[in-house]
Amino acid sequence: MKRIGLVLVLLVLFSAMASAAPLKVALLINGTLGDRSFFDSAYDGVVAAEKELGINFKLVEMGYDQSVWDPTLADIAEQDYDVIILGTWQMTESLEEIAPWNPDKKFIIFDTSVDYSKGNLDNVYSIEYKQNEGSFLAGALAAMVTNSQMPLANSGKAIGFLGGMDIPVINDFLVGYIEGALYIEPQVKVDISYIGSFDDSAKGKEMALAQYNRGVDIGFNVAGQAGLGQLDAAKDANRYAIGVDSDQALLFETTDPVKADLIVTSMLKRIDNSLVRALKMHIEGTLPYGEAEALGLAEEAVGLADNAYYQKLISPEFRAELEKLAEKIQKGEIQVSSALGMPAQELNALRDSVRP
Amino acid sequence: MGSMLRGIFSVGFGYSMLRVTTPILFAALGAVISERAGVVNIGLEGIMLISGVSGVLFSAWTGSAWLGLLGALLMSILFALFMGYFHIKLGTDIILAGIALNVIASGGTVFVLYVASGDRGISSSLASKVMPTISLPVISRIPVLGPIISGHNVLTYFALLAVIAVWYFMYKTPVGLRLRAVGESPDSAASVGISVDRMRFLALGISGLLAGFGGAHLSMGYVSWFSRDMTAGRGFIGLAASALGGVHPIGTAIASLFFGFADALSNYMQSLSIPSEFVQMIPYLATLLGLGIFARQQMAKSQKGRKQAKEVA
Repeated sequence: MKRIGLVLVLLVLFSAMASAAPLKVALLINGTLGDRSFFDSAYDGVVAAEKELGINFKLVEMGYDQSVWDPTLADIAEQDYDVIILGTWQMTESLEEIAPWNPDKKFIIFDTSVDYSKGNLDNVYSIEYKQNEGSFLAGALAAMVTNSQMPLANSGKAIGFLGGMDIPVINDFLVGYIEGALYIEPQVKVDISYIGSFDDSAKGKEMALAQYNRGVDIGFNVAGQAGLGQLDAAKDANRYAIGVDSDQALLFETTDPVKADLIVTSMLKRIDNSLVRALKMHIEGTLPYGEAEALGLAEEAVGLADNAYYQKLISPEFRAELEKLAEKIQKGEIQVSSALGMPAQELNALRDSVRP
Repeated sequence: MGSMLRGIFSVGFGYSMLRVTTPILFAALGAVISERAGVVNIGLEGIMLISGVSGVLFSAWTGSAWLGLLGALLMSILFALFMGYFHIKLGTDIILAGIALNVIASGGTVFVLYVASGDRGISSSLASKVMPTISLPVISRIPVLGPIISGHNVLTYFALLAVIAVWYFMYKTPVGLRLRAVGESPDSAASVGISVDRMRFLALGISGLLAGFGGAHLSMGYVSWFSRDMTAGRGFIGLAASALGGVHPIGTAIASLFFGFADALSNYMQSLSIPSEFVQMIPYLATLLGLGIFARQQMAKSQKGRKQAKEVA
């Protein structure tokens, strides 16, 4: 009888030790998976971390009803997860409120930063992305294409930018894009449109078509789902397009190869890489909680998609030049400006300077 | 300024205007026919979404755009009648039933898409078909006008034909007369033996059919996929166009073209150094302006009517 008791105690102890070992992570998505972009990338990152770092994770899809986001976060924060990962600016305010209540928990928020001046946020690590650096490369590529003898490029020097809304994050893409294009071709013109929506892909298509009609031969869409309209427009107008966030050529690879053949590359936001990096640093004990970090080309958090279309459509010289540019940015030889915190007059002046 | 004028007076702009107008016009005609029967179809937006996802799924399964369209239209009629059942048979407030349908459609279409394809944002992984574009034989050769009118999606021509069809049905057929009578005064219509319920079911069914065309145009003509909430308020703009057009098919068609013009203008004006928020406001400003003018006219008319009535008395 005693022996059985001893075995039981040992068993309990053993299992407790075993379960204490792997890091318990919760990934909160304020939307659903299947967006083929942002949230899917975050999920891929946590899955990769599970394989590489041996963490345990739970996925919580909160859906698009904003009223459940707050209580869900509060609930999850009270459970026994070590690290809670969430993203987007819509979640910052609730996190600023809930993180101080759970000082023993760690929070990682991506693609935004909490306001650390509010204090008590020593357990929150914010990841921002230097979309301006990646967009610099996209702009440089667009300028190269419009100057080139590529089959669908015209003689004009106009390139397009299709934004979702006239807001700082989107303009951060724009500023990098313009600077990259000017770096290659000082005479370049950038035709800029804002859809005013992140859902309305029909309107996105309409605006992109208007740009192509005005002589744009390559455009960059930064408008989520609405921006996909640009890819349809590229097919109608038979011009080039650059995708964003995820590898958008892959979206149409099997169902619409003609369209995929026009998407020269996509400017990726590698949420997955940044989350793996953060979790790794957490385990090593080096993750700077209580701070925001802006990750760029150096951390492989942004960059151009190097896929079969990029290899096929873009000449080796262009690709080599882009690689050099990426190196220069990483070394700090090229400083890309950011729209975050840029005064409105300065931004307007920049936009006006390249207006066709 | 010069570049903008060149933009607006370009062939591309005229072509764009007709394309932008198509889904709005379908929705607006759907609003006209149900409103004439005394039922405000708030659910147009949801029906368009349902039609959009159905068109994509049916065309991907059958490999035929036309069968996809057929499936989309059947589903639209079905849901319009479903809403009608709640309103007409069970006495639910039509506004509430319409809102419910819109909410169901917004989530339900994503759910169906997920079940069918595993995607929850966009249906690009399904090889869905697109309705063909048509080059009009003689007209396409006319300079300027040709490229504006010719080469559209077949559904754009359907929309223009639908204006005439709805007008003919409502004003030249006995059923149309009964339908209008039911809307004008249900009690009097019932007193002469017209079934009010049946007329309203008919009106909602046709309204659903028209909205279905609009939804199918979005996912099988405008763009080549279904995406979450892709109607983006076009059903409601259709309701506004119907009100602005005096709930008459011809007036509504003109109002829809006006909205299409405003929308296309806002797409083309982005290249100017005007704040983009202002440009995005144009279609809505146009709506407000249009409704204001319409209300003034109505007031003037009714005052005139009152004066006449006094004189007679």
